[in-house]
Amino acid sequence: MAHKVFVEELRKIVGKGNVLDSDVNLQLYQYDAYLEERRPDAVVFVHSTEEVARVVKLCNVHGVPFVPRGGGTNLSGGTIPLKGGVVLEMIRMNRLLEVDTANLRARVQPGMFNLELGNSLAPLGYQYLPDPASQKAATLGGNVAENSGGPHCFKYGVTTNHVMGLTVVLPDGEIAEIGGMAPDTPGYDLTGVFVGSEGTFGICTEVVVRILRQAEGVKTMLAIYDSIERGSETVSAIVAAGMIPATLEMMDQLVIQAVEQSIHCGLPLDCATVLIIEVDGLKDDLEAQTEAIVNLCKTHGAREVRVAKDDAERALLWAGRRGAFGAVARLSPSYLVCDGTVPRTALPVVLKKVAEVGKKYDLKIPNVFHAGDGNLHPLILFDWRNAEQKERVMKAGMEILELCVQLGGTISGEHGVGLEKMDAMRLVHTEADIRSQLMVKRAFDPQDLANPGKIFPALQEVASVV
Amino acid sequence: MSCDVASLQRHLEEILGAEHVASDPGSTARFSVDGVVPALIVRPGTQDEVAQVVSACAAAGAALVPWGGGTGMGMGNPPEHLEVVVRLDRLDRIVEFDADNLCVTVEAGMPLGRLQEMVAGSQELLPLDPPDSDKVTLGGLVAANQSGPRRLLHGTARDWVLGMRLVLPNGERIRCGGRVIKNVSGYDMNKLFIRSFGTLGIITEVTVKLLPMPVATATVIGVFPELSGAVAVVEKVLASFLLPEAMDLLDQAALKLLPPALGLQASAGNFALAIGLAGSQETVDRQLRDLEALVSGGGGSPSTFREMDAKKVWAAITNVLEMAPPDPTRVVCKVAVPIGRIAGLMTSARVRAAEQDLAATMIAHAGSGVLRAALSPAPASPDGLSGTVSAVEALRKEAVALGGSLVIQEAPPGFKARVDAWGRPGSGFATMRRIKAEFDPRGLCSPGRFLSGI
Ligand SMILES: Cc1cc2nc3c(=O)[nH]c(=O)nc-3n(C[C@H](O)[C@H](O)[C@H](O)COP(=O)(O)OP(=O)(O)OC[C@H]3O[C@@H](n4cnc5c(N)ncnc54)[C@H](O)[C@@H]3O)c2cc1C
Repeated sequence: MAHKVFVEELRKIVGKGNVLDSDVNLQLYQYDAYLEERRPDAVVFVHSTEEVARVVKLCNVHGVPFVPRGGGTNLSGGTIPLKGGVVLEMIRMNRLLEVDTANLRARVQPGMFNLELGNSLAPLGYQYLPDPASQKAATLGGNVAENSGGPHCFKYGVTTNHVMGLTVVLPDGEIAEIGGMAPDTPGYDLTGVFVGSEGTFGICTEVVVRILRQAEGVKTMLAIYDSIERGSETVSAIVAAGMIPATLEMMDQLVIQAVEQSIHCGLPLDCATVLIIEVDGLKDDLEAQTEAIVNLCKTHGAREVRVAKDDAERALLWAGRRGAFGAVARLSPSYLVCDGTVPRTALPVVLKKVAEVGKKYDLKIPNVFHAGDGNLHPLILFDWRNAEQKERVMKAGMEILELCVQLGGTISGEHGVGLEKMDAMRLVHTEADIRSQLMVKRAFDPQDLANPGKIFPALQEVASVV
Repeated sequence: MSCDVASLQRHLEEILGAEHVASDPGSTARFSVDGVVPALIVRPGTQDEVAQVVSACAAAGAALVPWGGGTGMGMGNPPEHLEVVVRLDRLDRIVEFDADNLCVTVEAGMPLGRLQEMVAGSQELLPLDPPDSDKVTLGGLVAANQSGPRRLLHGTARDWVLGMRLVLPNGERIRCGGRVIKNVSGYDMNKLFIRSFGTLGIITEVTVKLLPMPVATATVIGVFPELSGAVAVVEKVLASFLLPEAMDLLDQAALKLLPPALGLQASAGNFALAIGLAGSQETVDRQLRDLEALVSGGGGSPSTFREMDAKKVWAAITNVLEMAPPDPTRVVCKVAVPIGRIAGLMTSARVRAAEQDLAATMIAHAGSGVLRAALSPAPASPDGLSGTVSAVEALRKEAVALGGSLVIQEAPPGFKARVDAWGRPGSGFATMRRIKAEFDPRGLCSPGRFLSGI
């Protein structure tokens, strides 16, 4: 069907003002928080499950690819419409539909921002835990599609551990309710496989999440080190001592300096690294836990450990951590966020090797990351106008992922594969592994219309068996 | 489907050695699946041998069913046909225990109890606690998504499995996940295979994360004259800051099955609420105080058990239906509903049972929305099945109306011909069927066992 006619059909479904197809408008949808660009053919603002289903059906009938888009904050090119087609802008489906405290569940539309959900639950005394640092601008739908993590996921698990059900529009336009308010739905765990599918299994239009009571008490500490190695050793030492803090986050000197310039949260500029450690739960043992952790940090070489005195001090520490990616943007025109994961005890080694990679390629690489999860985020600084430098950055990024894999880890902890890591998939998967994942893709999306061209490298026709 | 069993047997004997292939009636009868007797029982000794066995079966067009500890074999519909049972008991080795990173990898036939013993040596544990934990294998636990009381705080297999190796129905070996706690490199294939009931392949290796052993454990059991008293306590606990690991509700029949040594039967009452606690000494003591007050305030009489005693209490509660005297006529079903609906469900299950003159024994994971009910016809009942069929169907209808489900966990022969083991599939079923067709196009892995024939 000719483009114009197709766009008219879209307008019939969602209303005239809800379809964008001018050059200027489309340009706004050709990028996300990753580094590649591609322009869609049309952008559609959707408002309900039924509208989404009709748009997807239309795409299906005409063989037009489609890509759902939430906040566009993903770091792997997940929302780039690689093969053109329609971008579905989910942001207006942003209502909290139901909070059911007796059942410890909430039902949310996917365009709601993660932080907004938290803010709506807080007055009721409840919380939704996965808290990506981008929570102000990242949507629940995006969280579901990327299986996002966040600082509090060390103790509480990532998005998949908190999503109990979904309403999805499948790539053929059918609406399915999978999982739900009750546990253990018979049949394959489609909810579990949809979470983390990066928009390639269809579009989720409602999310049933698990909500938890807010913790009775919380204590936040800042441990300051002159050696990054000693800092990362402490992370394992805390866990080895049988403690599971709510968060174990780490920032190195370059990040601290950037954060201080933009947020002024009182971090020492001359230290090598800081750990942000938070314990939460019943208040009866929080003092004792805090004391034990402070002592552990000190025996592992912390020069100082500060304990936040009140909510204001705690909020300031978190503002610093959550603002870290943004602050680093002050250091250079662009940066590549690496997202590798290693077993926790390998942190000291991997950090040392990341620094070596920086030297080898003559690149600055600040680090800010979820240390408790062993989830690194080396930020490789560069200038996008410098093509030669960008090439070095890509090589360095790949080398860091290879390091993670060699140390028993993997190529992505929370940011997804998208366009960015298709080539790195082979570092962790055999051809047979990849084929098995493609079988699931085919079962969901036989026509390959949902966010096509992502995640999978082209298959080689050799069957290598582990 | 026709299959040349004699030549398949020769082929399997070549792969495994004759001592690991059995075809005598004694063995095959012991490993019948829902009354369907296999022709061959095989016991591969390595993951690679599993792959060779599956390939040989695929080439011969033989249907297979994997068999771990056998504790979950009562679940599912009878297989459409069955030639080979693949026992995994020889795959019981530990592959790697990384205590420092709270992570262990074992072969799929490793019994859960043995894994727990081993990691306990490093003061760690896997907080999954299904019934029969001595027999349940890791592969079986994962494939059948078995759970127990501690799912309240710790969740189920999907929250603890980091990685797996499998043999697909075509004999190919794959790996999914890994051994790190955050992993989004490609689809989350672990979720697909957890609770796939052997219909998409055979799990041969499992990597799980572990938890540090808590310093202190304790349990409060309140015995109440009325269900409503116990339920009110459950609601108050869920709305409080308290963080119990488990909260199980037992009816009178279940209470009677607990060992007399616990002294619970002495307190007059019909319903027991058992609340399990774990953590630091300070938090356990504080919760004990709060809970004893809540139980007393709600009209119940509390008893407290600490450390080893608490462990014994939970071993008894977890296996309460398994410890009942053998009863070949009983039906055990697991009903899942939204958390807040569990009390109402328990009440109507009692009514349904009474209507059909059935004896009911019930235990609920009250904070998780899961009820297990055992229903037995009265000894004098003329037709052993009609009563349980009606009661189960009525209960299923109610569960489905609440957005939940009812599945059969154990039933006498003939029952499943009248009541489907899973109930009717929901709206994502077309996708499930396509998944099954992609992985097992010829329908050779546990054919017909799962939802609506997949
Ligand atoms: C400063 C910064 C900090 C970050 N910190 C973290 C962090 O701590 N942890 C973490 O995990 N990530 C982090 N991220 C990455 C990113 O924020 C997350 O991946 C987030 O979940 C993406 O949400 P979004 O709404 O922006 O999704 P988008 O970027 O719009 O989309 C992401 C993917 O989801 C798909 N999608 C969107 N909506 C739907 C839907 N309704 N149905 C199906 N698919 C859909 C898209 O097609 C795309 O593939 C960070 C990013 C930035 C820029």
